[in-house]
Amino acid sequence: MTETLKPDTADQVLDAIKWAAGEGMPLAVRGQGSKEGFGRVVDVPHCLDLTGLSGIKAYEPSELFMTAMAATPMAEIEAALRQNNQHMAFEPPDLGRLYGGGNAKESGATIGGAIACNLAGPRRIQAGAARDHFLGFNAVSGRGEVFKSGGTVVKNVTGFDLSKLLAGSFGTLAVMTELTFKVMPAAEKTRTVLVLGADDSNAMKAMAAALGSSNEVSAAAHLPIAAAAFSNVSYVSGAGKSVTAVRVEGPGPSVEHRCRALAELLKGYGAIEELHSENSGTLWREIRDVRLLADGDNLIWRLSVPPANGGDVVARLGAEIGGRVFYDWGGGLVWLSMGARPHAGHEIIRAAVAAHGGHATLFRAAADVRAQVPVFEPQSDALRDLSVRVKQAFDPKSVLNPGRMVEGV
Amino acid sequence: MTVACKRVNDNLIEALRGIVGDRLSTAVAVRDQHGRDETYHTPHPPDVVVFPDTTDEISRIVTLCAQREVAVIPFGTGTSLEGHIAALQGGVCIDLNRMNGVIRVNAEDMDVVVQAGVTRKQLNEHLRDTGLFFPVDPGADASLGGMAATRASGTNTVRYGTMRENVLALTVVLADGRVIQTSRRARKSAAGYDLTRLFVGSEGTLGVITEVTLRLYGIPEAISAAICTFPDLESAVDTAIRTIQTGVPVARIELLDEVQMEAINKYSNLAYPVQPTLLFEFHGNNAGVVEQAETVEAIAAEFGAAAFQWETKTEDRNRLWQARHDAYYACLALRPGCKGFSTDVCVPISRLAECINETRLDINETGLVAPIVGHVGDGNFHVIVLMDFDDAAEVARAKAFNERLVARALAMDGTCTGEHGVGHGKIEFLTAEHGDAISVMRALKMALDPFNIMNPGKIVSL
Ligand SMILES: Cc1cc2nc3c(=O)[nH]c(=O)nc-3n(C[C@H](O)[C@H](O)[C@H](O)COP(=O)(O)OP(=O)(O)OC[C@H]3O[C@@H](n4cnc5c(N)ncnc54)[C@H](O)[C@@H]3O)c2cc1C
Repeated sequence: MTETLKPDTADQVLDAIKWAAGEGMPLAVRGQGSKEGFGRVVDVPHCLDLTGLSGIKAYEPSELFMTAMAATPMAEIEAALRQNNQHMAFEPPDLGRLYGGGNAKESGATIGGAIACNLAGPRRIQAGAARDHFLGFNAVSGRGEVFKSGGTVVKNVTGFDLSKLLAGSFGTLAVMTELTFKVMPAAEKTRTVLVLGADDSNAMKAMAAALGSSNEVSAAAHLPIAAAAFSNVSYVSGAGKSVTAVRVEGPGPSVEHRCRALAELLKGYGAIEELHSENSGTLWREIRDVRLLADGDNLIWRLSVPPANGGDVVARLGAEIGGRVFYDWGGGLVWLSMGARPHAGHEIIRAAVAAHGGHATLFRAAADVRAQVPVFEPQSDALRDLSVRVKQAFDPKSVLNPGRMVEGV
Repeated sequence: MTVACKRVNDNLIEALRGIVGDRLSTAVAVRDQHGRDETYHTPHPPDVVVFPDTTDEISRIVTLCAQREVAVIPFGTGTSLEGHIAALQGGVCIDLNRMNGVIRVNAEDMDVVVQAGVTRKQLNEHLRDTGLFFPVDPGADASLGGMAATRASGTNTVRYGTMRENVLALTVVLADGRVIQTSRRARKSAAGYDLTRLFVGSEGTLGVITEVTLRLYGIPEAISAAICTFPDLESAVDTAIRTIQTGVPVARIELLDEVQMEAINKYSNLAYPVQPTLLFEFHGNNAGVVEQAETVEAIAAEFGAAAFQWETKTEDRNRLWQARHDAYYACLALRPGCKGFSTDVCVPISRLAECINETRLDINETGLVAPIVGHVGDGNFHVIVLMDFDDAAEVARAKAFNERLVARALAMDGTCTGEHGVGHGKIEFLTAEHGDAISVMRALKMALDPFNIMNPGKIVSL
């Protein structure tokens, strides 16, 4: 049975971790648990439930940042931002559907979890990763010490970049109690240029051409026909062809101008269509939240490769793996859904990805599979050793989320 | 507690010669040049300087030093400003300037792999025919390894980010001589802790960076530039803030205060109004840059700007920006024979006007000659204090002024350094700013460099 500690203040978090470090009692660190399906299962008798630490602490729209307690729901933050025509530019995904089964309405994702998992959506190619928008935090390390880093300014060079280290550390180094992050004006207008019928290899070229142009493309994805069919945007699902989508955002006249330029640039790759704001919004949410693959309980892999290489990796995997794919980030990110197979097919997949200098993450699989198969790309010995040292510097007793990222760390 | 390093002896020099042959120097002039920066920090020459050609040589050098617990100080072009390269405990300075090869340009993926000694200008020269460029442009022509090590930034951070956002991967020789690559070529590193960004900004205290993979950008189809003068500082700053809040993807916004404008007029024989002035640069396609400039013109007018002048032709743009490029020399000309010392605070942009105004009063009361230039888009500004480094009283006054400035910035939720870094010159400020985080940084340093041989005495002292 799991015993839950539920602090309501940062001081109580400190007490809990001091206790854990003193007793050598590992803790599973949890926000709303919306991404519990991501990473390895932390199987320990005590859970540190952070949901008591919720609420926006400082938000002055003109200052372009927000400070919120760690377990503030993303929904609350996004609602506050929407009122001021602002957003988090890295487009944090809502993985409720993916992990919660088809029916989950709202994911319950929290800001702490979003940053700790460092997940960004389609705009990552233009606006950067979650960590690039993460300005500072208050936290308690596994040593039971309170510390803070960064602040509200967008630029500082004050020593080791602890914010970047905590982003993507899955709660294994320190427990963040409060986070400060950038917010940006939301675009006035969004348009998506669609290219219909390009094969994977031509689609990579079309996306590279769009991204390399001066049209400030904010997202570029390619949906082979099988993935496109799952869209709720009728132009996309009804196309009966693959769909390559390129997004532009900004003030009205500029968006229209850039759309025309892109249509001209891309017309050699297939028939051109255009989506306006509402349909664009739907399509890019489907891509961001991996909804085009979220049905059923297939295995889902996320393959990170150099931008122009996605098509080649999939071609290499081709018949061997089957399944359904789509591409984001101009081809630098491949989402792959496939039926069960021994060890989730990780060796075949990782070999294909490694050949292109990329890495693969087992994004969705049953807990027992995630216990057997490395969820994250295994590291070289030297890197692993370095990561272990980093872990020890923050959490020498290994009380915070042991084994969440790597077995035994 | 101090963890002291051992000194270099003849035996080590012989062993080093075994690795680099005659690419090694113990000459006083060479050692002096490697222990001194352009500031008033006291020089500390290393015992010996080596000039390796490869990662492997560096790995062997560091292994030797680790065995003997001798300090290792990586050296790029030595343009850092806070005593970063001072060999506080003597030791071996590794000068990377011979490692100046561009290893691979991946035009399709828009990235490039360079050896750490390549400077930013060399890289852009190399890229000239590819239609790509690397945007981070600190005032000096620094090495890309040094820029990564100091997390440098330039004038176009608002649009392109700093080294933090633009380094994709590093090859690093660790404190025990082992070599790691922090990340694969794929953009997104989800394979563990973000070690790339742990080394970015580590100022040589965790390892020697030998290769850097950088993100590149397409040279914009069109660029336009604009200059405009404001009745007071607030209206200039408010224009910059509104521009960013509106989401105009401006590439550069630089503020020059009235003292700086006067210096420029004198230096270049120009007749700009002696008032706070903003310089802009816009990147995009032809229609886009016009639209951006018009949007900003309207905002500036709202805040009472005088004539907004903008140009798209290269020569005309360059003429406008020349004022900014010459800013430093124009400052020096204000007090011939003196040198400039640059402060580096950064505050939330909503506090910027207030912070600069208070600072200007302080300058006047202290009786310093000190123009101000600012990267207003990020809230970072530099006061260039002109002074005689040999005049101890003047140095003391300038230091005291800087201490007050840092305290002012911290009180406004700002930071003591927006881009120059900590070195050993700002260690005290770092403690004031971050308190508890210092012990975390110290733990990290000890975990990665247990004998404290990598650039000891910088960022955190052990
Ligand atoms: C006129 C002038 C203008 C400047 N303007 C700016 C500006 O606009 N923005 C800005 O950010 N900075 C600016 N600077 C500061 C300086 O240029 C930057 O800090 C630059 O990044 C330093 O690079 P470097 O190659 O000279 O490094 P160095 O000064 O040689 O070294 C800096 C630090 O990095 C370490 N280091 C160097 N190379 C390596 C390596 N390969 N591996 C590990 N550690 C290494 C050194 O040990 C040292 O601690 C300016 C300096 C001057 C003189």
